[in-house]
Amino acid sequence: MAIILQLLFTGLGIGAVYALVALGFVLIYRATNVVNFAQGQFAMLGGYCMVITTVDLGLPYWLGIIISLVVMALFGAIFNLGVYYPLRHRSFLPVVISTIGASILITNLVLAIYGPEPTTLPGMTDYPGISFGAVFLDAQYLVIIATTLALVLLQYVFFEHTMIGKKMQAVSQDKEMASLLGINVTGMIMLTFTYSAVLGGIAGILVAPILFVSVGLGAQIALKAFAASIIGGFGDVPGAIVGGLLIGVAETLGAFYISVPYKDAFAFVLLFAFLLIRPQGIFGEKIAQKA
Amino acid sequence: MKSVTNILLWLIALVIAMGCALLLPINGYLMNLLMQASTYAIAVLGMTVVLGYTGQINIAQAAFFGIGAYAVAIGTTTLGLAFFAALLLGAVVALLFGIVLGGSTLKLGGHYLAMVTISFQEILTLVLTNWIGVSHGPDGISNIPRPHLGFLALDQSQHYLALCLFCLFVTAGLVAWLKSSRLGLSMQAVRDNELAAGVAGIDTYRIKIIAFAASACLGGIGGGLFAGAFRYISPDQFAFDDSVVLLTMALLGGVDAAIGAVIGTALLILLPEWLRFLKQFYLAVYGLAVILIMVFMPQGIFGYFARLVRRAPDLPRGEFAPLALGADTGAGLPILEVSDLSKHFGGLRAVDAVDLVIIGGSVHALIGPNGSGKTTTLNLLSGIYRPTSGNIRLGGRDVTGLAPHLLAAAGIGRTFQNIRLFHSLTSFENVLIGSFRAGSGLDAAARRERAMAALDFVGMAARAHDQVASLPYGHQRLVEIARALAANPSLLLLDEPAAGLNLTEKQNLVALLRRLRGHGLTILLIEHDMDLVEQVSDRISVLNFGRRIADGTPSEVLRHPDVVAAYLGEVAEDAAA
Amino acid sequence: MDKRAIGGAGGRVRGPRAGLKKRAWLGAIAALLIASPGIAPAWADDAAPIEIGMVTPLTGAAAESGRYAEWGAEMAVAEVNAAGGVLGRPLKLVIEDDQTTNPGVVSAFNRLANDSAIVAFLGSIRSTQVHAMDPDVRRIAKPVFFGGTDPNLTHAGDPWLFRCRPNDTYSAKVIASFGVQTLNLKKWALVTSTDAFGSSGARLLTAELQALGASVVTAQGYANQTPDFTPVVLAVKGSGAEVIGSYFTFEQDLAIFARQLRQLGVRSPWVGSPSITDTAALHLAGPALYGTYGVADFNADSSPEAKAYAEAYQKLHKAPADQFSAWTYDAIKIAALAMTTAKSTDPAAFRTAILAIRGYKGTEGTYDFDANGDGLHGYNVVQNKSGKLVFVKRVDFPAP
Repeated sequence: MAIILQLLFTGLGIGAVYALVALGFVLIYRATNVVNFAQGQFAMLGGYCMVITTVDLGLPYWLGIIISLVVMALFGAIFNLGVYYPLRHRSFLPVVISTIGASILITNLVLAIYGPEPTTLPGMTDYPGISFGAVFLDAQYLVIIATTLALVLLQYVFFEHTMIGKKMQAVSQDKEMASLLGINVTGMIMLTFTYSAVLGGIAGILVAPILFVSVGLGAQIALKAFAASIIGGFGDVPGAIVGGLLIGVAETLGAFYISVPYKDAFAFVLLFAFLLIRPQGIFGEKIAQKA
Repeated sequence: MKSVTNILLWLIALVIAMGCALLLPINGYLMNLLMQASTYAIAVLGMTVVLGYTGQINIAQAAFFGIGAYAVAIGTTTLGLAFFAALLLGAVVALLFGIVLGGSTLKLGGHYLAMVTISFQEILTLVLTNWIGVSHGPDGISNIPRPHLGFLALDQSQHYLALCLFCLFVTAGLVAWLKSSRLGLSMQAVRDNELAAGVAGIDTYRIKIIAFAASACLGGIGGGLFAGAFRYISPDQFAFDDSVVLLTMALLGGVDAAIGAVIGTALLILLPEWLRFLKQFYLAVYGLAVILIMVFMPQGIFGYFARLVRRAPDLPRGEFAPLALGADTGAGLPILEVSDLSKHFGGLRAVDAVDLVIIGGSVHALIGPNGSGKTTTLNLLSGIYRPTSGNIRLGGRDVTGLAPHLLAAAGIGRTFQNIRLFHSLTSFENVLIGSFRAGSGLDAAARRERAMAALDFVGMAARAHDQVASLPYGHQRLVEIARALAANPSLLLLDEPAAGLNLTEKQNLVALLRRLRGHGLTILLIEHDMDLVEQVSDRISVLNFGRRIADGTPSEVLRHPDVVAAYLGEVAEDAAA
Repeated sequence: MDKRAIGGAGGRVRGPRAGLKKRAWLGAIAALLIASPGIAPAWADDAAPIEIGMVTPLTGAAAESGRYAEWGAEMAVAEVNAAGGVLGRPLKLVIEDDQTTNPGVVSAFNRLANDSAIVAFLGSIRSTQVHAMDPDVRRIAKPVFFGGTDPNLTHAGDPWLFRCRPNDTYSAKVIASFGVQTLNLKKWALVTSTDAFGSSGARLLTAELQALGASVVTAQGYANQTPDFTPVVLAVKGSGAEVIGSYFTFEQDLAIFARQLRQLGVRSPWVGSPSITDTAALHLAGPALYGTYGVADFNADSSPEAKAYAEAYQKLHKAPADQFSAWTYDAIKIAALAMTTAKSTDPAAFRTAILAIRGYKGTEGTYDFDANGDGLHGYNVVQNKSGKLVFVKRVDFPAP
């Protein structure tokens, strides 16, 4: 029992990380119909911002978080201008390749400037965690799970109950219609990238104390996060969260009970299963309705 | 003429390339780059077929490449197969994986396909790493032998390079030839407009599987040659990152041309080498270069330059027979019998127990207010939707619920309210695709003639070589009708052909419809323009809220009180809006 | 076999403090200046330098350790030149980036090999890369010194490969003999990467343990770059093992595992492959590694030579010396020694002179080259005492 609880807890913790990154994927996808392959690098940059501000410059943790998120917001805007905006009228493939180029650029720029050594970032709290008998709840994972839940709630409120959130939704559903309604589509997309970069940054800041900060941070999470967003039904926010948690739990349980070396396969087997068991489903009718 | 010149040029280039490989002094460094580039390029050509021609994303090309490489490595070292037998084995295994993977997921498409291929890629890497008994695990396999082939001692690198180049040229030639072949045009039709491709008679699912399998097979061949080239392989050479590299190569060079694949591959292999002087910044600059190329050349490098050079026309010349139409129409007899046809979307009864009989050789109009179920009915008749219930008989044969391409084969042709052409192709190619209709029994030359005749029939022969995307709206409509005519349909469904046309164009359309009727073609027409309907129709059926509320000759129907009420109601609503 | 064996991960060994990087860069520049021939004119102006090619990861996963490797080689070149060079000519290092990939190393090596002035090469510390280079090494037919620890590399008939680190049979022998005979623990849990380095380590260690009469109660392979080790830790915990033996490739993985191991209350002794002694691992894992044992091919306290080297390195680069730099340092010194005794840079004579080296005291231990080209035959055992590596003993086996 203790073993299952322990596995469930860490599974949810790591799943919450996938979910956070998946959220960034989903938002950008909804706004632009493009998969942003640099989403993982957003997390990596967030982690580095924290290291630079709190470790290298010695600023307080809270200030480091604020500065990092502001930097990430700016970065999201620049990313939009440099990588997406010039290609906004193109089909999705050139944009995808452009984001792949951006991920190579970001990774290697960080490597060249900051060096390849991984470094540590202290956790949000000095408190290591809570023990219930044989089950240990890592404090950082608790923070991650709580933050993810809070962000999902916040996001729900933002999209459903604020004007700007509704405008962003309108843009993601139908750009032409939105612009006819007088919504500044370009501005909303800019905002989406900004917010996604901040989300990526938060994921990076949260996960850095566990996985350490290195240029590889993010890349290892991004693929699973991508799988999570697909399992959740691409473009579906609650789906991405559930998908992320599901993958986290599945691979942790799968690793223990089935095979550790094949741990990374569980996410993808799960994905296959979802695509095959729920065929057509959401998208089957979509094609036909265009006729 | 043109193809002969192309083949000659291709042969000359092949001879020069192989001569250089065999005779020039090539140092080890350059040799490695060339072998890597030539074997990668074969896999990238697979991407040209699946992504460029067919528009299906594949982020597992490195996995297929790896399957080929491992087949050669395991085949030659463990199983003791001859090199070429192992290479063949790799191609076949990759092909089979392509068929299975494509067959199970190609109905999904888009990002789902991307994810499935990524999953396959990841799982394959894990299997290669962990199935140590077969794959030798992460140690990889070394000392892979190279073959002997007649006078070529392929264990010499230069001879082996010549073999790789030969395979590359053959593959590139085939892929380039494929583009203008029937199969290749069908692929491009699927890419440009899957729905229209189905209605034009193309089995889109089958075409996608063929494209995916061909791509996987080329990946396997490239990988097999790669294993022989480097004589050592390990699982980390065929990982997700490498699939992304192969994808990037295809897009960078120009994804819908064989030559683009070669350019992209060469560039992405050479670029990091050229940039080495930048030391630790060079991969960052490489990433930047990828972005810049996409921003300034979104069609890829070859696509960018190809736009500057127009393709020379390659059309049937001289006299062609006038278009034959309505071959299997029994005039005066019912050709289409629809009974009790329904389509429900959840609780919405878009089409509700509709009966409809269309007499051969007549023009039958289907009218009704917006949202009355006209287009849904057409979608049921052309196989885009499956009916919830009811029965459709065409020429006495039950065709209920058949797929679009089977209905097209049975003799149903159609056009769309919002024109659906294959926008990157020319008018002629669009119409040629229409002539592919299964069972039309024409050889290639006759199909080309028929396509020209169909274009001529609608008055578009002079624009045969124009890209349809560049044509004015009215002309696009005509091309779409010509595409349907080229299939020699026994029943033509036209969905609001007059929508968006100016007065002159409408008059031309009326004339065209009359000529079609004069040739004995049966037409089912949806139209809002009542003048036009009155001018051309023999019979009219009226739908409202999914139900048929009237049926008869124009004079009967247009005076029918329910029809008047339905239309007045609509007029009132329009006024309110 | 892997370079990473050593340390790690992809190269991310990092100095103990974040602020260290800038100084490290300055150090590198200083080293370059010292290494440049203009400063120590112990030879005629027209004496062409003897070039030694070096492939090393400057980018990619192992870029960090690549830099250390470069520093070590540069220090040795500077010292050789300061002492008058070789055959009256200065040594010169020519470096190419291998991008930490197999195709990268093949391409980089061939690029160097085109320069006929290069007389010898420093290859990779990653075994898979050395495997990938092997066909070209045979073709070029000049000595290649390398640090990959896969035993097969020197047993596959390539006469031009010379290893300047002990191979994995010795790390497995030392881990097993220390755990079983010195610590007297018989029930083992193995935690190993599924990559080439980890899986060969697992194989060899299992064999050595069985030979010593110990048992493996659980063997856990994990894929590199795993964000969570809970399943592995729970398996180890539930297995009743008395001692853990490990082959980790990447320091992050090692540090995450170590931390979760301690969090979930596993306190058994742990004897790890060299990565457990990496600077980066010590830094990342912190207290989670206190008390663990590791085998290390380089340790500053293992010999006077190692001590002297570590002090000089520390002075120049403001960082502790490690095995990434030690083997390249030794390799340059051995190359210089062999060319001097051969009185020639001719590959055949050069090779014979290398194989004849006996009892050369390098920083990694005493080199006795055997017929296969293996120079070292033992390891140091060290213990992590509150973050400091304390030398426990040197275990050497006779050359075969």
